[in-house]
Formats: sequence, C-alpha cells, structure tokens
Amino acid sequence: MADTQDNRLGEEEDDEEEIDDASYKTIRDAVLFAIDISASMLERPPPSDDKKAERDSPASAALKCAYHLMQQRIISNPKDMMGILLYGTEKTDLKDGDNTFQHCYLLADLDVPSAQDVKQLRDLLENEEEAEEILKPAKEAPTIASVLFCANQIFTTKAPNFSSRRLFLVTDNDNPARVKQDKDTAITRARDLYDLDCTIDLFPISKPDHGFDRTRFYDDLVYPTSPSDPDAPVAIATTTKVAKSGDGLTLLKQLLASINSKAAPRRALFSLPLELGPGMRIGVKGFILIKRQEHVKSCYVWVGGEKPQIVQSSTSHMADDTARVVEKTELRKAYKFGGDTITFTPEEITQIRQCFGEPIMRIVGFKPLSLLPLWANIGKATFVYPSEVDFIGSTRVFSALQQKLIKSKKMALTWFVPRKNASPVMAALIPGEERYDENGEQTMPPGLWLVPLPFADDLRQCPEQPAEPRTTDELTDKMRIIVEQLQLPKGVYDPSKYPNPDLQWFYRILQAMALEEEVPTKPDDKTLPKYKQIDKRAGEYITAYGEEFEKVFATVGHSALSSRPKAAAKKRPAAVAVDDDEDEPKPKKRVKKEAIVKDEYGDDGLTDQQMAAINDKGQISKQTVAILKEYLGARGQPISGKKADLIERVQDYLENKGL
Amino acid sequence: MATKEATVYILDLGASMGKKRHGRDVSDLDWAMEYVWDKITTTVATGRKTALMSVIGVRTDDSDLAGIMPVDDGYENITVFSPLKQWLLPDIRGLQGKVKPSSTNNGDILSAVAVAVQQIDAATTGTTGKPLKFDRRIIIVTDGRGTIDTSDVAQIISKLKDYDPPVEIVLLGVDFDDAESGYKEEDKDAQKEDNETTLKEFVDQCDGNFGTLAEAIEQLAIPRIKDTRPTPSYRGTLTLGDGQTYDATITIDVERYPCVTVAKPPSASSFVVRTDLGGVGASIQSSNTVIGDDDQPMDGQLSAVRNQRVYQVDNPDEPGEKMNVESDDLERGFEYGRTAVHISESDANVVKLENDPSLQIVGFIRAEEFERFMPMSRTNFVVSQKTNSQAQLALSSFIHALYEAECYAIARIVVKQDKAPLLVVLAPHITPSYEALVEAELPFEEDVRRYKFPPLDKKLTISGKTITEHKDLPNAELTQAMSDYVDALDLSEYDKDDEGEPTEYAKIEDTYSPLLHRVNQIIRWRATHSDPTLPLPDPPQILTRFSAPPTDLLQQSESQLERLKKAADVKKVPPKTKGRGKRSRADRDKPLSGLDIDALLGNPKRVKIDANNLVPSFKQALAATDDLDAIQEAADAMADQIRTLIRGSVGDSAYGRALEALRVMRDELTELEEPEIWNVFARDLKGELIGGKLGGDRREMWWMIRGSKYGLIDRKRCFASDVTEEEAAQFYK
Repeated sequence: MADTQDNRLGEEEDDEEEIDDASYKTIRDAVLFAIDISASMLERPPPSDDKKAERDSPASAALKCAYHLMQQRIISNPKDMMGILLYGTEKTDLKDGDNTFQHCYLLADLDVPSAQDVKQLRDLLENEEEAEEILKPAKEAPTIASVLFCANQIFTTKAPNFSSRRLFLVTDNDNPARVKQDKDTAITRARDLYDLDCTIDLFPISKPDHGFDRTRFYDDLVYPTSPSDPDAPVAIATTTKVAKSGDGLTLLKQLLASINSKAAPRRALFSLPLELGPGMRIGVKGFILIKRQEHVKSCYVWVGGEKPQIVQSSTSHMADDTARVVEKTELRKAYKFGGDTITFTPEEITQIRQCFGEPIMRIVGFKPLSLLPLWANIGKATFVYPSEVDFIGSTRVFSALQQKLIKSKKMALTWFVPRKNASPVMAALIPGEERYDENGEQTMPPGLWLVPLPFADDLRQCPEQPAEPRTTDELTDKMRIIVEQLQLPKGVYDPSKYPNPDLQWFYRILQAMALEEEVPTKPDDKTLPKYKQIDKRAGEYITAYGEEFEKVFATVGHSALSSRPKAAAKKRPAAVAVDDDEDEPKPKKRVKKEAIVKDEYGDDGLTDQQMAAINDKGQISKQTVAILKEYLGARGQPISGKKADLIERVQDYLENKGL
Repeated sequence: MATKEATVYILDLGASMGKKRHGRDVSDLDWAMEYVWDKITTTVATGRKTALMSVIGVRTDDSDLAGIMPVDDGYENITVFSPLKQWLLPDIRGLQGKVKPSSTNNGDILSAVAVAVQQIDAATTGTTGKPLKFDRRIIIVTDGRGTIDTSDVAQIISKLKDYDPPVEIVLLGVDFDDAESGYKEEDKDAQKEDNETTLKEFVDQCDGNFGTLAEAIEQLAIPRIKDTRPTPSYRGTLTLGDGQTYDATITIDVERYPCVTVAKPPSASSFVVRTDLGGVGASIQSSNTVIGDDDQPMDGQLSAVRNQRVYQVDNPDEPGEKMNVESDDLERGFEYGRTAVHISESDANVVKLENDPSLQIVGFIRAEEFERFMPMSRTNFVVSQKTNSQAQLALSSFIHALYEAECYAIARIVVKQDKAPLLVVLAPHITPSYEALVEAELPFEEDVRRYKFPPLDKKLTISGKTITEHKDLPNAELTQAMSDYVDALDLSEYDKDDEGEPTEYAKIEDTYSPLLHRVNQIIRWRATHSDPTLPLPDPPQILTRFSAPPTDLLQQSESQLERLKKAADVKKVPPKTKGRGKRSRADRDKPLSGLDIDALLGNPKRVKIDANNLVPSFKQALAATDDLDAIQEAADAMADQIRTLIRGSVGDSAYGRALEALRVMRDELTELEEPEIWNVFARDLKGELIGGKLGGDRREMWWMIRGSKYGLIDRKRCFASDVTEEEAAQFYK
C-alpha cells in the first residue's frame, strides 16, 4: 500500500548523476543564411544528358542547402533558430516595413522555423515563376558592409541572448569591393559582428573560369577563432575548401557536405585535466560526437482557440501537509529505508557524493586493446581532444600519447569523474585515427575516445545452456562461406548509409500534417536487408548449408527430422517449432551450474505433445498459471492476462500446430 | 522473484561479550554487532516483504521466549527480541536499545538454536501443515564463553536437516581458532577451547559454515553484488534473407538477455521541512487536508511534496499576455519547429512506423576494422531458444563461423511490435560453458555529429601547407619518452591470480561501482547511527582502489615518468591570465589575414556608444582607452541605452536585448577590474525596476536579471570588488 502511494509523491527527480548533456541542449544556436543573388550566382550550368552533371545554379544549390538544413535542424535542434537572407535582389523586404537595407530580402525571418517557412522555401524551389520574381538581381548590389550590418541588426533584435550566433555567407564573388572605402567599412562591420559574438562562416563557390581567392577580401573579415565557441578547437582547413562546379561531384553535394559539418555548433561537454602520472597533467575537452537522435516528445496542445497552440507547463511544489507552495531550496533529499526515510543534510549529501575527489580523468595504467571486449560497453563513447587553455603543451603530449596508443594497439585505463557530483566510472581511453573520404574530407577526427566500462555490479549472467549440440567444422565452414559472401561495402559499417527509418518517418508524417498535406504511406527504410542481393550472392551457399545442417543434426542424435513435414517443405535448416518428440533424448550433459543461477533454466517444461494430451483429457484448466506461462513463454507467445486467457492461447497454439 | 527467506540471528549477549580484548578499542559485542548490523540493514534496504528476520539473545539477564515455547529447564536466559517478520527501520532502532552485555554468563547457545528452529517452524509452515518453500538460515555470533549442554544436539541436527533445503547454520566465533585462516588465540581458557570444539562439531554435522568474526568483518568491505534473474528482452527469430519471397533463407529461434546493465545507486526523494509545527509562513490552513500516515516520513520533521502543474498558452486576444488553460482542453500533439501539430488520440499511431518483431542480418563486417567507439548502448546476449537443440546447433555454427572468419554481423532488430528498428552489431562470444552473440546498438546517420578537428600528427597552415615540426607536435624525444612510459605502466600482467601467475590488473570483475556502494554504505550506517552530530565514515578503501595507478608500479616507472615530464615541458596556465585580461588593442583578436583593424581606422581615441550597434560599440569604446573617465563615460552611455531599451519595451519585447547588454557590460567591467562602476549601476537599476520608474511595472525584468545572476560583482569574481559574497547573495533577495 505504502509503496504505490509513495511513487506518486516526489519520486520524479533524481537524475543528478546522469552523465548526460543536459546543459548541452540549453545552448541555443541561431543561424542566418545569407545568399548572394547576382547574375553569376543565378547562372545555370549548360544542359547535359549526363546524369551526374550539374543542374543547379549556385543560388539554387544554396537555397536547396538551406532547405535541407532547415528540415534537418527541426529534427536535430528543434529549439534553434534559422533565417534566410537574400542580398542583391531587386526587391527589398525585411518583414518590418523598414527600407534601410536596400536590396536585402528576408526570405525567412530569424526564428525557430515553422511549417510555413519550410513550405515557402520549398515552393520557391519548385515554382519557377515565383523564383524568378524574387531571385532577380538588382542593378546595383548592396555593399557587403550593409549586408553585415543588416545581419547585425537581425541578430541583435531576434536572437539577443543566444550563446551561438552564426552567419552563413554563400557567395561566388571573392572581391565584392568596388572601391577601397567599401572594403574598409566591410572590415569594421565584420568586426562589429565579431564583437557581438557572431561568427561568419564563409561558403565560397568558385566560378568555372575563376577560383575563389579568399585572400583578396574575405580573410580580412573572417576570424580564426569563434567568440561564442572558445572551447572548440578550430579547424581552419574546412573554411578553405572551395567548391568547384562541373567536375563530377555536384556543387550541391559539396556545399551540403561543408554545411553539414557546421550544422550544429560544437561545444565541449567537459573540460578536465588528464593525469598521465603524478605531477603530469594536460588539459583535454570532451565532445559528444555520437548520440542517439530522438524525435521530439509529445506535448500538450491547446485546441480551445482558432489554431492549436503549444502549452507551456510549469510545476510548483507543495508541501503535502499544509498545501503550502514551497521553493526549490526548501526541498530535502531523503532515502526510503525500511518503511521510513533516512535523511541527510544537503552538506552531508555533498560529502557522500564528492568523497571520490575532484573531477579528473586519471590514467591508472595501460593495457592492450585486446583486453577491451565488445561486451564491456555500457553506453556511448565520448570524443576527447587536447586543449591548451589550462596547460601549455597539452596538444603535443596528447598527440604523442595518441600516436603511441595507435602504434602499440593499447588503451589507457582511466578513473573518470566527469563533474563534481558525478559518479566515478572506470573508462578505457582508446585511440581514434583520423580518417578521410575519397575527396580528402575528414570523416573521423583524430583523438582519443573515452569508453565507459561496466563495474562488476553491472555484469549479468548469460542463461545456462546445454553443452550439446555444438557445431562441427564442416558446418561452420558452410556458414563461413555465407558470411564471406555477404560482406558490407569495404567490410565496414558506415553510419552515413543508414538514416534512422523511425525518425525520418516520424518527421515526414509530422511535416505533412503540419502543412495539411497528404500523409505518405510508404516509408523509405534503408535498414532493411537487401533480400534480393542476399539470395543472389548467397542463395546456393545457404542451400548447401541447409543440407549439411540436416546431416549434422541427424548425427547429433536427433533422427526424427523426417517426421517433421513442415521443416522439409521449405529449406529452413532450423525450424521455428520447438522440439516436439517425446522420445527425443534430453541433452546429455548440462553445464556445471553456478551457484547463483537458479534452476529455472534446467527446466524443460511440457512438450507440445504432453500439453496436447492434457488438453484432450480436459485437464488443461488444472494446470497452474506458472506452468501455462512457462509453456507459452518458451514458444514466444505472450504470457499476460488471466488464466482463462492463457488457456485459450495454449489451445489456439496447439490448434495451429494441428495437435 | 527471489526465494523467500527466514533468518534468525542468535546473539550472545553474555557479560563476557562486554570486554575489550586483544587490543581492540571496542567490546567484543560492539565488534560483533558491526557484522550483525551490516547484515540486518542490508536486508532491510532491499525492502523485501519476503525476507523475514528475527533476533534472539542468549545469556541475557531475563528469560522471555515470547510464547514460542515455555521457559523450561535449560531455556533460561534466552530472550526472543522479535518475531520472524519483515524488518523496518523502527525495528532496528528498537533492537539498538536492547543489545547490550548482560550481567550474567548463564544461558545455553544450543537451546537458543532450538528456540530459533521452533520459531522458524512456526513462521514457515503453511496452513495445511506443510513447510513452505523458504531459505531458512540461523546466524550465530558468540564468544564461546558460556556453558553448552550437548544432550539434545542430535535431535536439533535432525530437525535442521528435516527441511528442504536444510536450515543453513552460520556460526561466527569471536577469536575462535581457525585452521583455514591460521588464526590461533594465545592463552585461551580451557572452557572456551572446549566450547569451540563442540560448536565446530555441531556446525560440521549440519553442513554449516564456521568462521571467525574477524574474517567475516573483513569480508564486509567487499561489496555484495545483487543477483538479478535474466529476463529476455526479445524472443523470436534471427533470420538471413526473406523467407516470404525466397527459398534459401536461414531462420534460428533466439532469445536476447541483458549482458551488461548499469546498477544505479538508490535514489533519494524530495521532502520539505515541516513548517506547520512552528506555524511559520503557513498562509493556507491545513486542517482540512487529511493524508494517510503511509505517506508521511515517520520522524515527523519532513513532509512529502506534491507537484502541481499549471498550463499556460499565449492569449490570442491580448498579445504578450499568457492565460491559464484547463487540462481538460488539452490534447496530445508534437512540435514541428514552432508549429504545433495536433494529433488526436485516434491518430496517435500515424507517426509510428509499422514493424513486426524481428532480428535480421543486414550483412557482415571485418572485426578488425570495427571502431570500438561505435557501439552506443549497453550490451545483450543473443542465445538460442531454450530447449531447442536445432536452434542451438544452428546458432553455434553461426557463432563459430563469425569467429573463424573474424567477422561481426550487422543486424536490424525490432524488439516488440511497432517498436523503432535499430541497427546492432553481433559479435561471437565463446566460453567453455556457453556460446552467444554479444549485441550492441550502432549509430544511425543522424546520430553522428560531423565536427572536424585539426590533425594531431601534422599542422596545416591557412595557405594549405603541411608542417611537421611545431610546438603542438611531439618531437622525437617526447615520442620516445611517451612510448617508454606507456610500456612501463602496463597492467596486463601486473596482478597475480590465485596460483600466483601474472594476470590482468583491474579486471572488470574486480571493480565495484563506487557511488552505488558508497550510498548504500551510508544509508545502512545512518540507520544504526541516528545521531546527526556523528561525522560520516569514509568510503571503504576497496571503492577507491583503482582511482590511481598501483603504488609500486608507479615507483618502478618513476624514471620513465621523469623523462616524460622533461620532454613534455607542460606549463600550467596561471589562473589570472586565463581570461582575456585587461583588454588592449594589441591583444584583440585579428581576422585570418592578421590585419590590424584599429590601425586601419587610425586608432581612434574615443568611440561613441551607438544605440544601433550597442554591444560592439561598447566593447570598442573600452578597448580604445585606458582612461578611467572615458570608461565611466562609456559605461554611463551604455547604462542609459539599457534604461531606454527597458523603458521603451512593449511587454517584455526588449528585455532580451537589455539582458544581453547587461551581460556584456558586467563581463567587460569585470575584466577591466572596475567592478564599482557596475555595482553602482546595478544597485540603481534594481531600485528603478522595482520602484516602477522605467515606464511601468518592470518587475519581470528584475526577475530575469536575478534568474541570469547578473547581480553585483563580488570579491570572488573580481578581487578589486569590495562587495562580499554574502552581500552579493543578499542583492538577489
């Protein structure tokens, strides 16, 4: 009684030691896409029959990128803002009735994107007439200075206290200054943005006859460090990447790739000393590079008005005895114990949790990587990269360590306390090698990965299993051919080939509903196995395996295969049904039982035949619920419901088996 | 469900237990109770209703068998302190008052065993007279200094063995001789020696456990691991190919069990300190609130907390205003960007992808090239279906084929109907007693963030050149020193196994979750130490054993470490210069080209604060000067602009901008070490906001400043401040 009551009361909060990135999410990001609309940006590539040939004008590729990024950010950063500013258009519209900034056209105001913004952008990409009206270059383009000041104003008013504000500038003009004065003003305006903690990210596009030369103009405008992101190491290489059109890889793809790497602002999860030995510390930062992207949680919507509105809810705490509203600071933590509570003062709680020392990553020693089995995994790994902020020389020491670990295939065992109140964990620090794709773009950054390890408390026993039957060498060889036939490309798992089908489907449906469009019916699921290829590449080997399997299975003492018409009809070596022969010898030898595992796993339960016999005699209702559940459970049937339901299910099952 | 348990503790409370012996600073009884309390509190902490306990004292001053049997001859000086029941905190507190050495040495420990058996019998027999399924256990702690009558011993033993399983006897002796641990008490008195022999024989005859208290207490330090019964999270088939369309497919019946699951420390609940006792600040009367006793913590100081939710939407009629809505008017929905999408209850499944439960092979990869940082979940075992030898044979061949081909399988798993599909890696796991696949989740495309980081083995310049010698790159000396140190601090053969052979140090099986056991330790400790003035004990050493390299290994690698330190030449950055320090133009960040922008502008002496370019112009104004008057002037202009923003704000429309301006102003003045300029302004502004002097009710703005902690700059933040931390905290009130 007391338990159910207690669960309702104040049990909800207690995630203080959860090593997650809660603070990560509160950092909001605002991106303003500024796209140069000039004659050359609108110039389309010559028509071609080649499928791989360029189809987009630079401006349309940029808009497609913006469209893609907008949709992607709704999924990955649902609280973040995005806007699209076209400059150099004949039209002027900044959505505020003001005409200060001539030839600037705010296609989407800087805000959390709405379904309407997505639709408008898509219409622009699909509807050529509308596009022509808006995407018309002005006779006299605005100066870059005024574009930058326009961005300054938009950031100041629309995203005043965002910790990350970024201007994505897409242009093919590497020297937009007509006179020196233009350049000087642009430089000051760029510095204003920098002082406003806004970053300029340049996405240059080369013209067919002229490579984009950053040194002519933009190197005076773009800063090497990002003011909003001082934590993050700077990778200058990406900014010098120049997209060339017309050589196989389309402009759109290149632009997408470089924008994708900037899709979310980078921020360190923690900044800690890494202790290699007593008195030998360097500074490192941790970054989350791998994390499950979930879709938004459902929320309450108020439907009392004209349009559905999202409801904001706030929680207040009330003392149960007096119904008095209490402040968070008045709350005390207590542990339930023996029907009562054990309480500690906040100071004591601190003392209990912090008795393991300051936050640190301390190397305990080194082991070969082979001593890190795959099963020793409890969650995602964190990427670790050096930082010079606290210790000068960290990078070279870190680099030496990373290279040594790669060379000797070793890992560092570490004692890891990520934050003050966090639970200490043992973790393996393993080296990560830098990897590139065929275009020389980095696909995996160089550094170390922190893999948290389980404790003895976290290990679970594998259920016991009979020692027989085990495979034979011949059978293994037949299976091995199949394994070798069905290697994934290059024999590696590449996450970028597998979008999350559930997430994509969720947002496709949601987008359709938000735009009141037809809801799609067929999901695009790239995670489904390629059945046709499997059949083509391994079909004959599977058949061969099936034949060998029957032979082996017969010799292991299960001669009754012939009495199983179902198994023979299709070439399924291992039938779905459980063994149902009464005279079948029980597995001969059991594994020596370990003391802690209870007997349940030795219990074979009733066979189908036995159960059928019981049923025929009308004694099925005399069986206990436990027996029925075990019988159903062993056959993958649900075991929920009342006894009557269980009996019905057993009978259905037997009927389907023809018993 | 764990088996039901009935445990009786027999405590020897004879006068002899009150003595301190062998240089210990606690009495034998207190020493013994360390063990008993730990055992009892551990059981209480599980909260299991099926773990029954009782405590019987022997050699007590009084005789009270609680009606279990009459106090016959030979049963004197035995006290039953509690019936067999689930113990709660009050039972512990109750027993604490009763456990003290008596003034007698009379009382027979074997009689107490007989009482215990009788008590167990009564409590574990069903209504039909048949014994129920129970694990029965009697734990005896004694110093063996009483008198023992062995006439009934055979009868007791046969009774103990009557049960299935038999009653387990655990006897812990204070300073008993023990051949196994090699302990031998010097100058033992003859009676104790006799008793030890008698008791040992007794325990041996009932196949019980005999041990010394010292040993038992030593083992308390080793954390106990909770057993969990494996429950399958997926039961179905492992398939290769599509059986619906193609003939050649493989289908194996499998089950999936957890391999690793993180054990979490117990969680604390929130309570509030009761105030109604003193009647402080209770504005709402509480007389009509009736709450069951069950909800209330029993010490009467705390009250449970209820959460009340309030739902608000923007008022469509009055922009900028919020209004409360009833939860009855609310429906489920999702946010798509800032658009609310309403999905009625009947449509709830439309966003779900339909999927049947399955585990399908997608393809195979080379184990060697699998990135160990990829798996992002805890791991599971995939084993063949229980009692299905066909499945076992097939899975065995699959596991061995993977092992021999040095491959892993990539598979798609749908655990339950319409659950989201996941991609997992399946690796072979072969041990002498079982074969399994180990499975872990892999990231999808959306789960990988493609941030770029500069290379670590070379430097790229802006112009695209590659440099191999740089202060951020290790030189040959550092590379060698690192290599030597890593090799010296190798743990793979540092430990010794039971046979004395070298083995891996800090195996996972030897590491215990520090916080989990720490919290459990403290809760148990507090249960028996309710005095709040007692200092908390330190964590047991075993929990911090792997927090640093083993000492002697460190000593052996000292020279390598010294060489590494020298080659590394790492310098700690003093805390003072960490910030950007006093800003001067020379220190300002420069664009990629390195252009000196201020020089370009002719190094202006004064920069005016521009309302349309507020933050940048303020920063530039401060950078332009060292003159205190000029700084004050810039700050004043900034302050005026902030006031203007607030005064002109429609509702809260300009509060965000004002807040950002405040943040910048506060940060910059802190860096310039001019906290006084800020503090004067902050005090003024607070007064103006609360006093309604900035165009109406601006309290909301004050709440935002308070929430963002943009208050006074105190001494901790800037040494030049004369504001104490308490003063700064007071400012927010």
